[in-house]
Amino acid sequence: MHSPKRPEGIAETITVTKVREVLLVTMPSDPDDPTICALQEKTLEAMDQHTVTGLVLDLTRVEILDSYFARTVAETAQMVELMGGETIIAGMRPAVAITATELGVSLGRTRTALNVDRALDMVGRARHPKPRRRA
Amino acid sequence: MTLQECGEIEINVEHDIAIARRAVRDIAAELGFGVTETARIVTAASELGRNVHKYAGGGVMRWRALNKNERNGLELSFEDHGPGIADVDEAMREGHTTGGGLGMGLPGAKRLMDEMEINSAPGTGTTVIVRKWRR
Repeated sequence: MHSPKRPEGIAETITVTKVREVLLVTMPSDPDDPTICALQEKTLEAMDQHTVTGLVLDLTRVEILDSYFARTVAETAQMVELMGGETIIAGMRPAVAITATELGVSLGRTRTALNVDRALDMVGRARHPKPRRRA
Repeated sequence: MTLQECGEIEINVEHDIAIARRAVRDIAAELGFGVTETARIVTAASELGRNVHKYAGGGVMRWRALNKNERNGLELSFEDHGPGIADVDEAMREGHTTGGGLGMGLPGAKRLMDEMEINSAPGTGTTVIVRKWRR
């Protein structure tokens, strides 16, 4: 077995944590459609509630990225940008990157990082000096 | 652990897509597929399972372990009694969509698998069979 069996029924939820000036959004390993759908709302609500310069979307645990998931991620990044923030996608596994590319999905212009650590370094860099929305 | 040779999972609500995906992941891993091959199979299952839910309102995914000429493989069959596909060639074209998606479901799934067959007629439903052989 390559991955341990998870008991069914355990809720796999998105976690949103504020780390300094950044929102860290962590996806569960195999989110169902309603969970993926909740990504946009959770993320944008958190953007609205906290003063942050950007968002790191942690895909370290994610096992597959199908077209629906990829589209939601790309759209969320676009919405975050409209709100004045930047999204960096972090930690995509090799198998996920290979499969998503073969499937034909694209994440648009969204920046990516090898891991969360590097992503946190990237947020706010190569952008306007003070991209804050509110005083 | 002895593996069951075949089985089926009903796809009626959105969450069933995730249940089917998790089942396919465990079956593929037990059949000895590697991490990337398993990700390809699971991603294809996710696209085809979502089609069943989105276009036909529900259906069933059947799976079967294959053994032919000393090669092992996995066959997945997605059956629905929905509206059917009027023009299969057109549906296989890159970028074709009728459901507001990205139009990569069928051609994308075909790229991820080794074989694909589609049987469909308007009014009778659709059956999509995909196979993956172990390298």
